[in-house]
Amino acid sequence: MNTTAISSNIQVITGNAAAAIAAKLARPDVVAAYPITPQTEVIEQISSFHASGEMDCELITVEGENSAMNAVMAASLAGGRVFTASSSWGLVFMYDAVLATAGARAPVVMVNVNRETPGIIAVSSGQQDMISTRDAGWIFLIAENCQEIMDLVLQSYRLAEDYDIQLPVMVHYDGFFLSYLSEGVEIPAQETVDQFLSVLESQPKRTMLRPGEKLGVGTHGILGGYMELRHKHVTAMERSKAKFDAIDQEFADIFSRSYGGQLEEYLTEDADMVLVGSGSMCGTIKSVIDEQREKGVRIGLVKIRMYRPFPHQALVKALKGKKAIGVVDRSLAFGFDGGPIYTELKAFETKLGGAKLVSFIDGIANTDITKTNVKQMIQMTADLADGKDVPEVTWVSYPKANKDKGEK
Amino acid sequence: MAEKNKGRLTKVLDYLKYDDPFSKGVSFCPGCGLELLLRFIPRVLGNDIIITGTPSCSAPVLLGQNKQSWHTLSYFGTLMTGAAANATGLVRYYKKAGIDNTVVCFNGDGTANDIGFGNLSGAAERNEPFIYICYDNEGYMNTGIQKSGTTPYGATTTTTPYGTVHKGKNLRRMNLGVKMAMNKIPYTATATLSDLEDLAKKLLKAKKAKERGFCFLHVFAPCPTGWGANPADTIEICRQAVKTNYFPLWEAENGKIRMTKTVKKPKPVSSYTKLMKKFNHMTDADLQILQDDVEYETCLLGGLSVLEAECQLPVSAQD
Repeated sequence: MNTTAISSNIQVITGNAAAAIAAKLARPDVVAAYPITPQTEVIEQISSFHASGEMDCELITVEGENSAMNAVMAASLAGGRVFTASSSWGLVFMYDAVLATAGARAPVVMVNVNRETPGIIAVSSGQQDMISTRDAGWIFLIAENCQEIMDLVLQSYRLAEDYDIQLPVMVHYDGFFLSYLSEGVEIPAQETVDQFLSVLESQPKRTMLRPGEKLGVGTHGILGGYMELRHKHVTAMERSKAKFDAIDQEFADIFSRSYGGQLEEYLTEDADMVLVGSGSMCGTIKSVIDEQREKGVRIGLVKIRMYRPFPHQALVKALKGKKAIGVVDRSLAFGFDGGPIYTELKAFETKLGGAKLVSFIDGIANTDITKTNVKQMIQMTADLADGKDVPEVTWVSYPKANKDKGEK
Repeated sequence: MAEKNKGRLTKVLDYLKYDDPFSKGVSFCPGCGLELLLRFIPRVLGNDIIITGTPSCSAPVLLGQNKQSWHTLSYFGTLMTGAAANATGLVRYYKKAGIDNTVVCFNGDGTANDIGFGNLSGAAERNEPFIYICYDNEGYMNTGIQKSGTTPYGATTTTTPYGTVHKGKNLRRMNLGVKMAMNKIPYTATATLSDLEDLAKKLLKAKKAKERGFCFLHVFAPCPTGWGANPADTIEICRQAVKTNYFPLWEAENGKIRMTKTVKKPKPVSSYTKLMKKFNHMTDADLQILQDDVEYETCLLGGLSVLEAECQLPVSAQD
């Protein structure tokens, strides 16, 4: 398939609008959602498309997020294409249904606008909601900017509904930083999106719950059947890695935009040091890298686009042989010293060819990951590469945490 | 007497147009009201219904066990918290795809009245086109007989046991049927297993009314195991529940309540409570509280049916 995009147009829109327009372009049968800051604009936009007849879907304005997930799961298993959106506490409120959706292998696509979750009611950004649900069995993708939100939602349908995958996909993007950020986004033409998604129509039909067909879903599986289903789920997640890379390639052919699949590598090839990050922070990191490169610092960035399944093979390939790696986490692994992505990457340390790892925690609760912060991270990673003594975990915007570990 | 019984039986059989999709024997407690009800529904509504159910007493029979299924219906195993939302997702997709369907969301009182009430209420507000049936056995039976919002005053359960301080449940039961009728949905009804013609008629009415939106059936379904009753008495318990006004039979179209069986001289509630052990410990004073509650509910229902006859729901709000 090598067709150039036709009659796309560039508009200055928010990240939420990009998600809503992408959902519209995917032509879902059923959309169910409930408002929550900072996701609200997504469902508002979809309601507006629905009201004006631009979007021909069944719109269910449910009484809570739990119902949103239950409704789209059922509609999906009945055979429909579905969409929903949530954030933070909303994601937590739908958690039982989030698990059931994954267990049922329902190819649901949702966007989660990242926001802090636990403890304090923080109307602020952070990836803690994503981390809190990471072992739910969903495929997790993370967008860096508004254009990528649009593109990831479209790619998600290809991944979720693929006959070989059939798993729910969550597209994450930073609340506040991206949800309300307006930037130029190239909106593809409907025909181009239809063409991109038409591959799914040529695949075998997935199992669908239909009247009179003597077929059930959600059977109690207590004995061996349960292990079998779980194993199939895990292997499907493994398959989704290569599939996502392939979809990214095909997307590039049609839309002339490529991100590199599971990971986006920015100036890593000749780099001695690499920062690993995800989401909106990557834009800032890239600009600092550009500056540092002019000074001769050989630094690169690995941007995690697919977080579940964890792209460890791709990460090992990208990071092997580097002198030092700084992992930037926008969330916490409570009860664990070091950010969640850092601790997961640490499990593959022996495969990294001697590369040293260090954890940076920043950007929690709307704390801005500034260029100054990134410079500090790069300096510390450089120090690590030079064999200097660098603390394993650094709370970049909260120096007190680094000095006073015994605080109460 | 025999002739009379035969006549009644024939009338019920008129409604049984479809084959029983269930296996002849399922490993359920003897005399289970839920199982009798569950077998009855598809025989009236047809075998092309999609039935959904939650983790509950209905789960093993409805959803199967391990790799075995005990019926040939299409079904969906849902979560207790989102049963009505699940059914909503199904009917909305079928509507979009133009697929004719009858979705029966079949849940116990724990799901309907308690943990899943929020989404039941939401489905009623949006008037989603499916039939929600609550089989009310007045507690969480599958987890070992704990109290629910519909457990009556005085009843012992494993979370409202008889003790020196508390003697069974010290709260009154909630009236789920009236709660739902007040949503002015196209059809609400109560039913039980002692009045099968009434139940069958109501099922068929609901099947028709669901073309206009949400339908709710509140069905009294005794649990001999949980209630400490003789399995052979299940139907008799239902009969006494109706005759004492403990569980009155009525229906409501767009909220307009109409009694479908008027009990002229209601028996005292003790003729119902004596059939099971869960009320055994109750003193006459305790029973009087239950009796008062029953009379209050009956009075309220009578009042509502009179008021509803006088009040006119705006046409625009009916569908």
